[in-house]
Amino acid sequence: MDSLRTYLDHFVADTLDRCTRCGKCYEACPMTSYAPALAGVSPPSVVEGLLPLLRGGQGTDEAVAWVKICTQSSRCTEACPEGINAMLMVRVARMGALGSLGGEAQMQATEDPLFFRKIEAFAATQLTAEEIEQWHRASPRERTAS
Amino acid sequence: MASRQPPGAYGIMSEKVVFWYGCNVVRHGDIIHGSIEILRAIGLEVAPVGGPSYCCGTSKDANLRAADGMAKRTVGKFNDLAIWLAEDAPAVPGLLSSPDPATAPATVVTWCPSCHRHMNQFMEGYTDPQFPMSHFTQIVHAGRERLRERLVHPVNRRVVLHRHFGFREVDVNPLVEDLLRLIPGLELVETDVAVPGHMCSALVSVPAALKDVTRGVCNLAREVRADAVVTVFHSCQRLLCALEGSEPFHVVNYVSLLCEAMGLPLVDEYKSWKLAGSEAAVLDRIGAGRVEKLGEAFVREQLLPELLRAPAK
Repeated sequence: MDSLRTYLDHFVADTLDRCTRCGKCYEACPMTSYAPALAGVSPPSVVEGLLPLLRGGQGTDEAVAWVKICTQSSRCTEACPEGINAMLMVRVARMGALGSLGGEAQMQATEDPLFFRKIEAFAATQLTAEEIEQWHRASPRERTAS
Repeated sequence: MASRQPPGAYGIMSEKVVFWYGCNVVRHGDIIHGSIEILRAIGLEVAPVGGPSYCCGTSKDANLRAADGMAKRTVGKFNDLAIWLAEDAPAVPGLLSSPDPATAPATVVTWCPSCHRHMNQFMEGYTDPQFPMSHFTQIVHAGRERLRERLVHPVNRRVVLHRHFGFREVDVNPLVEDLLRLIPGLELVETDVAVPGHMCSALVSVPAALKDVTRGVCNLAREVRADAVVTVFHSCQRLLCALEGSEPFHVVNYVSLLCEAMGLPLVDEYKSWKLAGSEAAVLDRIGAGRVEKLGEAFVREQLLPELLRAPAK
């Protein structure tokens, strides 16, 4: 595989093939109480509503609500009886909900457009100019041994 | 840090590693410099890398083309760097395990759990990494007997570890607890309490959860009468350190405690900014020279809001 998209396509195909929609991943999630939309939902139905997002399709409101509160706690992966990396499944569903997989976006990205500029600014306060040159900017073979 | 040790100061043969500290940890130069000292103290020669040009792309879920490009660029750099280090002077067999450590590419040592996870979950799947990878806690734990010899300065504190349960790739909590137990004078309060996410930054998108976790940290520290809460990761240190302004305990990263025990006290300058209390005090602590270099308008508009924000609890 030579691209992220190809890799994701394989992961999605394998996940859809193995997932039985049992809902164990959702049941194990420690975050569901933080989404009012998830009160009283059926775990299998949330998972069923999430799977279309993996293909760039539309997920249910409940599935998108679950995606939004994922904090990568990995309880879902440990709970899956089929051995699916469910945490990765939810993350790929998030990509789908963000519109990254070709479908219509169902949630807004929260990325800070000045993220890297802030990183550079804080680095300039914490590292010396020589450290920044060597550790951040120099190509591997331009580095001097430290 | 009081004074960094010159190369070779620890008097042991060195194996070479790439230390990939990531992006957001640059708010804590103390953690970066302290981690390098610890790696060197256990016999490793360290090539540190980080910042945007080594970004893993984990923050680019909304732009897969960017994520793809960043991952390939960064893995390519690691391939070059790991092989160049091995060619430059072959690694010395010893601490690291690899099939032929005298000729193998240098190990990439991760700090950030997001970078480590992204490499495990995505980057390895469609790039061609030619280097072994371990997390900082695994490497230091493997070298803990060497480290123990350096931990000679008592740190007389009663501490409790702030534990997350989400970093399933590496079980960091027991590793860090073992390291803390090496510090003379340090009393570690045992606890099973662990909170969601792989580190606190994962909770930022769910403010109510972050608030619950922060309140839980305060309650736990009071309940066990700890005088310090010890963080494992940089984002926990970043988001919790300002609790010192309103709570009867300190917030310190475990790297700081290890370095203190090595006789290399670290200064958490970011925490001092968070505790400054006013715009004028923050700017004063950053210093006019650095503010001017960064641009005062940028500092005021982009950095001060973060530095003046108190943890919600």
